[in-house]
Amino acid sequence: MRFLAVSANAFPLVLALLPFLSRTENGARFQTSSETHPPPAQFVAEPGIPGGTLVISSHSEPKTLNPLLAVDSSSRKITALLNADLIHINSATQQTEPALAESWSVSDSGRRYLLHLRHGLRFSDGSPFDADDVVFSFRAYLDDRVQSPQRDLLITAGKPIRVEKIDPYTVAFSLERPYAAAERLFDGLAMLPRHLLENQLQQGTLRSAWNLATAPQAIAGLGPFRVASYAPGQRIVLERNPYYWKSDSRGTRLPYLDRISVVFAANTDAEVMRFEQGETDLIENLDAQNFALLARRQNAGHYRAVDIGPGLEYDFLFFNQNAFPSEPFPHLFERQKWFRETQFRRAVSAAIDRDALIRLAYFGRADALATLVTPGNRRWTDPAIPRPVRSLENARRLLSSCGFSWASDHSLLDPARNPVRFAITVNAGKPQQVEMATLIQQDLKDIGIQVDLDQIEFHTFMDRIFSNYRYEAAIIALADGDADPNSEFNVLSSTGTAHLWQLKSAGPIPKWQAEIDQLLDKQLITQNYEERKAIYNRIQQVVWENMPMICLVSPHILAAAKNSVGNFHPAILGDPALWNADRLFLRP
Amino acid sequence: MPFLLRRLLRSLALLIGVSFLSFLLLDLAPGDYFDTMLLNPQISPATVAAIRSQYGLNRPLPQEYWSWIRSIGRGDWGYSLAYNLPAAPLIWQRARYTLLLSGTATALAWIAALALGIWSSARPHSWIAALVRTLEALLMAIPELVLALSLLLIAVWSGIAPAAGASSSISALQPRSLLDLARHLLLPCLSLALGLLPLLLLHVRSSMRQALDSPFVNAARAYGIRPARLLFRHALPVAANPLISLFGLSIGLLMSSSLVTETVFSWPGIGSLMVTAILDRDFFVVVDCTLLAAIFLLAGNFLADLLLFLQDPRVRAS
Repeated sequence: MRFLAVSANAFPLVLALLPFLSRTENGARFQTSSETHPPPAQFVAEPGIPGGTLVISSHSEPKTLNPLLAVDSSSRKITALLNADLIHINSATQQTEPALAESWSVSDSGRRYLLHLRHGLRFSDGSPFDADDVVFSFRAYLDDRVQSPQRDLLITAGKPIRVEKIDPYTVAFSLERPYAAAERLFDGLAMLPRHLLENQLQQGTLRSAWNLATAPQAIAGLGPFRVASYAPGQRIVLERNPYYWKSDSRGTRLPYLDRISVVFAANTDAEVMRFEQGETDLIENLDAQNFALLARRQNAGHYRAVDIGPGLEYDFLFFNQNAFPSEPFPHLFERQKWFRETQFRRAVSAAIDRDALIRLAYFGRADALATLVTPGNRRWTDPAIPRPVRSLENARRLLSSCGFSWASDHSLLDPARNPVRFAITVNAGKPQQVEMATLIQQDLKDIGIQVDLDQIEFHTFMDRIFSNYRYEAAIIALADGDADPNSEFNVLSSTGTAHLWQLKSAGPIPKWQAEIDQLLDKQLITQNYEERKAIYNRIQQVVWENMPMICLVSPHILAAAKNSVGNFHPAILGDPALWNADRLFLRP
Repeated sequence: MPFLLRRLLRSLALLIGVSFLSFLLLDLAPGDYFDTMLLNPQISPATVAAIRSQYGLNRPLPQEYWSWIRSIGRGDWGYSLAYNLPAAPLIWQRARYTLLLSGTATALAWIAALALGIWSSARPHSWIAALVRTLEALLMAIPELVLALSLLLIAVWSGIAPAAGASSSISALQPRSLLDLARHLLLPCLSLALGLLPLLLLHVRSSMRQALDSPFVNAARAYGIRPARLLFRHALPVAANPLISLFGLSIGLLMSSSLVTETVFSWPGIGSLMVTAILDRDFFVVVDCTLLAAIFLLAGNFLADLLLFLQDPRVRAS
């Protein structure tokens, strides 16, 4: 459950004058009064006061209200508030918990799951929910004509998950092979109302169902809210679902809020302005620069800005190691000899000053990374792997050990005495990545490597990485939607669709990659946490030793809310500030 | 009638040319809307390919163009890949907001330009004329983006008007929508009107000055005709021709002139939709927005020609 943290919507028009607002009085650019506060492992909700409208912003409007199709973050934010899943991953604990299914059991083979549904649940239109809706929902997710993004997730060993109604409140799921994190598959899969959508599924028109032109009455879910109104380009208003099944510790029906109004802004800067003007109550997914502005003014503004530390996003540098039948563009074949050399990649990593990247590109709101597992991923990070520290001496030693040398003008020469020079390609719409590339350019100059910067537009960037492979090195950010190692499978596996540095391979894979592939397959079917953790620690170790990807930093999760917003406890999984939307409330 | 028919046929040919060029350029641009899906490991490349095929993105360009022409006939105007909707309702909903913003701003700019331009050309040596010239030079020198951002900053600091959107977050729940809309319209409208004003002012002033300096006006003045009658009855009709052409152009730009302003002020018009569609590669929406802007431009020119035809006997004679 990963998506790229590069946005096609990042309009290059950054409000040019706003940086002035984000500087401190003495001109320092990143010092703020707000410290990092990692979220607690357990979240104890405060009993709230029912009523009120919470106004939040979104940097773009949702593209659909159909959970089968939602892929962009704005659509997912809304559909998550409208729908519920069978088993849910708690964002605070990062572990699964009962949702629409009150309990479940797994067969000894690890291939059959029996889920027991809660009794008496109703959709937001008042219709009852039972096993037929569950079977229907999975039929919809697996339907060829719908092509839901979640469909591939429900196919194990080439066969789709089998769903069978045992009785009105019991459903059995059978997998083709055991799957260690199978219960996590159910997270985020919205259960759909059969009575409203069955005809469309039969007619093959489900892809066009529940779009933004659909009347609110024709949309029903099991989430805490339902659609009240939508104003194109302006806002969507959600109202409390009167049939929502959760209550708080005092027996008060959730959600506390009467309404959530989501206003659409052109970009993050516009979102911040609306928050500053008091038009919105809560803002999430802040960048470090805007966070600095809000943190500095939080006392006067009657709101609090919260930094909960690194999330699951990791920014990394990688080299083009794709296999080509002929020279794709000048010099790449020659340069790929360096890129495939482990010591060369390690030397580049050793020469990078990650502290400077954090200080200058992220205003101090990021953590240095050794591997792709961030410190925010508490259950799976390997504390034995050292924090990377810049060492030019080590970098030079590694380069010398594989035949590189230096010319009299201190430029680096490869074993064939060619000067070492390559270009880093970055998405121009991500200012932090552009800034990191510039800093890395300076860092590598210190070991004699000349780096050129290639800033390009998002779609061209994607085309180069995925289609024509016309790049030498690139910086990208990936962000996990789940903390489980399985979400890394496609990045680390040599056959993975996000194995970015070598999407096209030829010939035998290196030994260390074969070991990663083997360990990934093994952890996939290992049920015991300790054993899986040991396997995953080994994978991280191999990645750290061989650096197919040079991990750089993990940005912090930054959010802010008015002091009147109760139960505001951002988390790193899911929507940072809305994961507990049913428990958010407004103080008078 | 032949004049009208000729103009209509020429406009139609132009629209076909504009739409085909838009198609061609977008087709040549790298990537498509489904690029981001490739980076989601939940989705296999085969699924992405199947979705692309479902939307007909792998068809040859002429076939795709013909299918779009047919959808124009059906009133759908193609299909938005991002919104899973026919493009037409998506565009009309936003076009209303764009017309409201740019129509109001254009009307304000014309009223101000005519008043200030006529006044300052009638009294060229007064302090008001000097002030108008200074204002004109100043506004001409400020780029549209800087003007919009400055107004935005003033709004943020002072709180005199909302900084973004077309209505308050809760207005849908309260019966004060018109007043609320007017408050939200204030800044983007001011930004757009101030951007348009110097150009209009320059033309009004120079046309009026030229007319007032012409021999027949001097002769009329010598005959003792009152200044007000001289200005409005004799000079203004003579100065009107270039202004009518300019009026046609400003009508033509109603749909496309507010792109930057809409984006800066998060105005829910066609400009912000088009910017998002371009960045997302929402193919048909981009083509439709371009076509709509071209239709307005042609309609504006046509209107100007018609007004000139009615106003100037020399044009009718030729």
